[in-house]
Amino acid sequence: MTDDGTGRRDGPTGGKPNWGLAFDLGLRLGISILIGLGGGLVVDNWLHTSPLFTLIGMVLGIGAAMVTIWNVARAAMRK
Amino acid sequence: MPEEEGGSLIHVAIEAETLFKIGPLSFTNSMVGALLASVLLLLAAWYITRRSALVPGRLQSALELPVELMTGIVAGSSSRWRGYVALILGFFLMILVANWIGLLPGVGTIGVAHVDPETGHEAMIPLVRPASADLNFTLGLAMVSFVMFVYWGIKANGAGGYVKELMGEPLYMAPLMLPINLISELSRLISLSMRLFGNVFAGEVLLATMIALAPILVPAVFLGLEALFGFVQALVFALLAMTYIGTAIAEHHTGGDHAADEGHASDHSTAAEAAAT
Repeated sequence: MTDDGTGRRDGPTGGKPNWGLAFDLGLRLGISILIGLGGGLVVDNWLHTSPLFTLIGMVLGIGAAMVTIWNVARAAMRK
Repeated sequence: MPEEEGGSLIHVAIEAETLFKIGPLSFTNSMVGALLASVLLLLAAWYITRRSALVPGRLQSALELPVELMTGIVAGSSSRWRGYVALILGFFLMILVANWIGLLPGVGTIGVAHVDPETGHEAMIPLVRPASADLNFTLGLAMVSFVMFVYWGIKANGAGGYVKELMGEPLYMAPLMLPINLISELSRLISLSMRLFGNVFAGEVLLATMIALAPILVPAVFLGLEALFGFVQALVFALLAMTYIGTAIAEHHTGGDHAADEGHASDHSTAAEAAAT
């Protein structure tokens, strides 16, 4: 994959926009943060430790979003 | 929470509505949609296997077209494509038919009258609802997809290798990387199901609103658009499932150079996605 970050790519299809991957990536970033935040809220409600795990969950969610971006970017760079 | 669109004629609820109960199990209108889609696919499969000719007629060509399209795309995804091509084809055809059932006359507009016992409000419960406009259906498909790409990951590198992949490297970072990777994996499951449900449900609401606002001619434009969106959504779901499986195989299959293979695996599929979108 050779995504140039503009939503266009050079490849076997000859520079067609890669909207499918871009849309999937965007959705997954948001969902990663929501899972982390939601998980943290649930644990905080359960253990009555608010806002400790909410914050930890949010950081983990943001981390997961960054890892998702990193995996895609790494694949692009190696290609 | 049922939402009213255009008075009591059009009724679009977020959740599938119960038609009747068998013991503790509810039989919903989206189950009718799923059964209809299954029956249509079985009939098509029966026709293809029993009555296919070497030189295909129009009907046979029309039935073979989506199968050939998807098989061609999946064949370019990885060297092990034969192992999962049936699954991806199953996803594509089932979602495509389930989406297009929502465009048939009577679906969403023929139903039974229902009076809410609490509010006394009268509404219509459609007899058939497109299966993919029910989150249970899309989540079920996404779970099958999730199980399959985890299965392929484990099959390619063993359970230990898969867990090691989740823990990341170096090992002392595992307490941080394990939850991060688990969240990243789970986000695939939710994004697959929510995307399909959101698009199809939004299409249903849009159609219901347009039918209520302008019952003649105008809905035809939106029906055409929904036919296109139904195809695109089926293709996107199938191709993303294929990307995830291809990535799981590529990551574990070649070890050190997995990133390049990951890119390669997703390259074919996203190229096809791009062509479709």
